[in-house]
Amino acid sequence: MSVYLTMILRTATLLFLLPFSISIMAEVEGNCELCHKFPGIGRYTQTESDPAKDPAHREKFILYIDDELYDASYHGKIHCKGCHIGVDKIPHTDVPKVDCATDCHIRDPSVDKAFSHKKIVDDFRKSVHGVDGSRSEDKSGLPVCKDCHTNKTYHIDIEARVGTEDFLKVCNECHQSEAWTKRFFEHMLYRSLKRRTSREVIKLCSRCHMDAELMAKHNLDYVAGFKETFHAKAISYGDEDVANCLNCHAPYQLGFSPHRIKSARDESSPTHSENKIETCRQAGCHMKAQLKFGAGSRVHPSPGKIQLVGRTTTTKTTTASREAEKKLLADTLFEAKVIGWIILFYKVLIACVISGFILHRSLDIYAARREKRIMRSLMK
Amino acid sequence: MNSHAENTRYFVRLTPSQRLQHIILVVSTSLLIITGYMVQAEAFVIQSFGNYGDTVFWLRGWIHRIAGATATAICVYHIFYVLVSKEGQSWFIDMIPRPRDLLDVWQNISYMLGFRERRPKMDRFFYLEKLEYWSVWFGMTIVIVTGIMLWTEFYWPEFFLRIASAFHLGEATLATLAIIVGHVYAVHYNAHVYPMNTTFIDGMISEHLMKEEHGMQYERELAIMNGTAEQAPTPHGELARLIDDYRNCITYLLARMKGKPGPDTEETRVDDDA
Repeated sequence: MSVYLTMILRTATLLFLLPFSISIMAEVEGNCELCHKFPGIGRYTQTESDPAKDPAHREKFILYIDDELYDASYHGKIHCKGCHIGVDKIPHTDVPKVDCATDCHIRDPSVDKAFSHKKIVDDFRKSVHGVDGSRSEDKSGLPVCKDCHTNKTYHIDIEARVGTEDFLKVCNECHQSEAWTKRFFEHMLYRSLKRRTSREVIKLCSRCHMDAELMAKHNLDYVAGFKETFHAKAISYGDEDVANCLNCHAPYQLGFSPHRIKSARDESSPTHSENKIETCRQAGCHMKAQLKFGAGSRVHPSPGKIQLVGRTTTTKTTTASREAEKKLLADTLFEAKVIGWIILFYKVLIACVISGFILHRSLDIYAARREKRIMRSLMK
Repeated sequence: MNSHAENTRYFVRLTPSQRLQHIILVVSTSLLIITGYMVQAEAFVIQSFGNYGDTVFWLRGWIHRIAGATATAICVYHIFYVLVSKEGQSWFIDMIPRPRDLLDVWQNISYMLGFRERRPKMDRFFYLEKLEYWSVWFGMTIVIVTGIMLWTEFYWPEFFLRIASAFHLGEATLATLAIIVGHVYAVHYNAHVYPMNTTFIDGMISEHLMKEEHGMQYERELAIMNGTAEQAPTPHGELARLIDDYRNCITYLLARMKGKPGPDTEETRVDDDA
């Protein structure tokens, strides 16, 4: 009897709880804010080494989403599940990573089709950073969209940067949805503004390209010489008129794009020795540059790692390009040597002159003191 | 000669033109050093400019160019000055190194070390002054040439510009340090002139300092003033004296090679001082 009673009670309890569980499921379908509205929500990443014992190596993930701020962000019009596909149970296990090439439910007004970043993702795959275009044998460390598009989580400063409420009033004369005009205007505005300052671009690129270990893994030079160039010095002051990485390696002006960035060894690359002069001559840069200005080897060779320059792993290299590579290496080494000699010459000269002066001046002081002593003793 | 104070007599050391050249060079060089080293500045210095960094950098560039052009102009002017004007020629002739300078080096060092009673009697410009003057010639040539190259960057191969910039920076560093350790010491911290040698302002040198540092010239000037000079010598800028010095040196060396002391040589001076 007691067995039956227990079964009945269990069934009743389950039946009683069922509507609640369904309602929770329903919330997950459409209402992510149910959980993600709580500021305390978050987690630590687990590291492969030892997650529990080594808190220093754990990264904190804040999973809190502020509704208002999210709406003001780039993707504010897209629902969470538009990108986070496969989130249908709690906890969210076995969820695939966000794929930026996914079709959105937003329609691209220019062609009236579902909008997608697919084209740019495909371009990127073919670029030197992408899995198809990379010459590296080890494709594991290659960058993905999010490595560069480290967008601030929220663009709360957009109002401050835009500051054009009056302009929006003009839009709203015809367009009825104020929210829409604001979004559209901001979109256009953001696209016409520089996304990053030159300082930020350098910081972003050097995060990988100045990592000697990572670069060695892909058989590349790490960039150490750039900070010695005049461009870098001007940028460090916040000068936006001089070239940062992208102005030479992917100049929009010449029809290149960071998503289609190419190796300097690629003949169609803007930094290839044949094309360098055109890159230097871009409007606003060295427009009067003579042909010989673009000659020579590397603009920013890495002093310590020069011997790496010549190594290539790609199977695509031809004899001609290998010869060119060899010549480039020889030139780079020669130039580094010449500069090195000049610097050494001045170091020695400065050491000699200055120590000579100091010695002479010290003797002078010594003599003056002696004279003073003698004078004093004479006075007595 | 002038008498500024009751007790002290003063001698003319720098003419107005020389003082003007010096002042222009001081101002332009200081600006060049400051604006030049701003390119090599550490991150915390740059950060201190905050949001005005790019304006500062723009200004820095133009001040550097203007100061550089001014310094170049004054150097070109100086070349004409020493070629054409009388005081320029006199200045230049006295600046030419001569064998006696070597003897001065030797005797001055022995004096400073305490092996000699008195400082050698030096001429209008002693060896360190000559060294500083000629360093400006060589240094300026290098920085002006490389500076012009860097200004007209579009005309040169990129590698040449790297060489130019290495020379420009190296020479600038050498000059800056030499000015601080050499020149600033000589005119500010030297026991005789502390806190500052005002010659660059009024062009005058006191009798005491003249006697101490330019003994030979002092004696000559005195001889002219007292009318005791043997054959109407000029106080400075005598080409004949330069030639004489070289001739004496050669005669002396030739005599030494033959094994007997020369007639009118450095030996005589050593005896005088002793």
